[in-house]
Amino acid sequence: MAVFSSTEELHRIMEDLWNAIKSDEQMAGQLLASRLIVQFHYREPEGRLTIDCSDGVEMKIHSGECEKKPIVEMFMKSDVAHEFWLGKVNVPMALLQGKIVSKGPVSKALALLPALKPAYPMYPTVIKNNGLKVSV
Amino acid sequence: MNPFIFQSPTKVLFGEYTTTGCADLLLELGAKRPLLVADGFLLESGMLDPMIDNLRGLGEEPCIFAEVPSDSDVACVDKAAQLAREHGCDSIVAVGGGSVIDTAKVVAICLTLGGDLLDYQGLNCIERKLVPLVVVPTTAGTGSEVSFVAMIKDKKEGKKLLFGSPYLAPDVAMLDPTLILSLPPRLTAATGMDAITHGIEAFVASGTFSVATDALCLESLRLMFRHLPEAFSRGDDMEARSATLVASTMAGIAFTNSGVGIVHALAHSVGAKFGTHHGMTNAVLLPFGMEFNMEQAEQRFARIADYALASDCLEFSGKSDSYKAAFLLDRIRNLLVEFSLPKSLKELGLPELDDDVLNELSCMAASDPAIMFNPRETTDEDLIEIIKRAY
Repeated sequence: MAVFSSTEELHRIMEDLWNAIKSDEQMAGQLLASRLIVQFHYREPEGRLTIDCSDGVEMKIHSGECEKKPIVEMFMKSDVAHEFWLGKVNVPMALLQGKIVSKGPVSKALALLPALKPAYPMYPTVIKNNGLKVSV
Repeated sequence: MNPFIFQSPTKVLFGEYTTTGCADLLLELGAKRPLLVADGFLLESGMLDPMIDNLRGLGEEPCIFAEVPSDSDVACVDKAAQLAREHGCDSIVAVGGGSVIDTAKVVAICLTLGGDLLDYQGLNCIERKLVPLVVVPTTAGTGSEVSFVAMIKDKKEGKKLLFGSPYLAPDVAMLDPTLILSLPPRLTAATGMDAITHGIEAFVASGTFSVATDALCLESLRLMFRHLPEAFSRGDDMEARSATLVASTMAGIAFTNSGVGIVHALAHSVGAKFGTHHGMTNAVLLPFGMEFNMEQAEQRFARIADYALASDCLEFSGKSDSYKAAFLLDRIRNLLVEFSLPKSLKELGLPELDDDVLNELSCMAASDPAIMFNPRETTDEDLIEIIKRAY
């Protein structure tokens, strides 16, 4: 059974998490410096989240359809995203096995992975606040 | 045992003059009008004549593209794809080194999927089978004949484009040792050191190696350590050439499944910045990368030494892992001396590296996909320190 019961729940939780990241000066600073536009495509349930750092000033978080053209796109099951934020995904293995598909300049996306590590401890709180009942 | 997935979709054929059976292979794959992407030097030398004669058996004069530069780019791919379309080609045969084979892989994307090449840049975003691709490596080192990746330059934008997908694995790799007999000693050594680097980095890759990749790495390294010096000093030694060619392909299958590491990440950065030869850059950086990984990988290095180098050391049994790992590191350093290869980035031809260049190189290495597989986590400071030591 999928961790997220609906697209709405998935979007709400991912938006909350990214807003928490946006509030963290250090993480937000590193992401803004990249000036990347990253779009996450989720399936089971379907979902889409766009993180726009292109102006280098304000990180914009947008769920659902977005007209902005992404620089990097990541495709994965919603469950893989959940496991990722719990710090349980071996990213190299997931890429080798095709569990994560990365479209665009991969190196730019990978460079941000270390910057996102401080967000892992935030995620359990975000899902708890949203009433998601899963073991972490 | 950790769970793993191992895949190697490429059919591998080995044998002297095996390439003279290329036409039949293409027919098996449902193709009869190949684009031959060939190394210009080999084509002019006449070494490919038997293969081209064989391809004429398909009924038409083969369509040949022999303009691939040593560092291939989008313009070259576009030109080759255009030629293939004009001649109604339904498949590709690539004969050459890594640049030729990578070009052929990207041409296969263009021919099959059309549209904008940049749409397929990335990992795993090619979702269906490409036109049949048969490759014949003419160096023993890159492993591109069995790998899932291709890298070409976008000179206009000044960046490298990475394409990675199981669908990029060639359908067939034909290993013909007669085609590498004339490879000059220095290139033999440099490409061989590339294969050794693949074997070592794939064997210690973080959390992605498996018993299947272990077997390939160990035997590949045993063959390389034994036969590369022979192939270097006696280029016409068919046994040595055969062993290094097969070992290189084995290492290619291994790293395709488990990844490489910090040596490749740094070599890609140095190569992109200064245009240095990939194999030679790996050769210079390998001892420094191994030293950096020593604490995390000592046991694995010792296993390599146990399997691949035991015959070199009469008093190996009963020795500690640290002794064996150090023995392996010494063996690598001695090979650089034996092959008269550069032992530092300075000897490789790099100018003085100021702080800006060091930062640029470390940023590029930190964002290289290869770094993900390194057994020891790295910081920008670590990368700069390694570059400084290697200089």
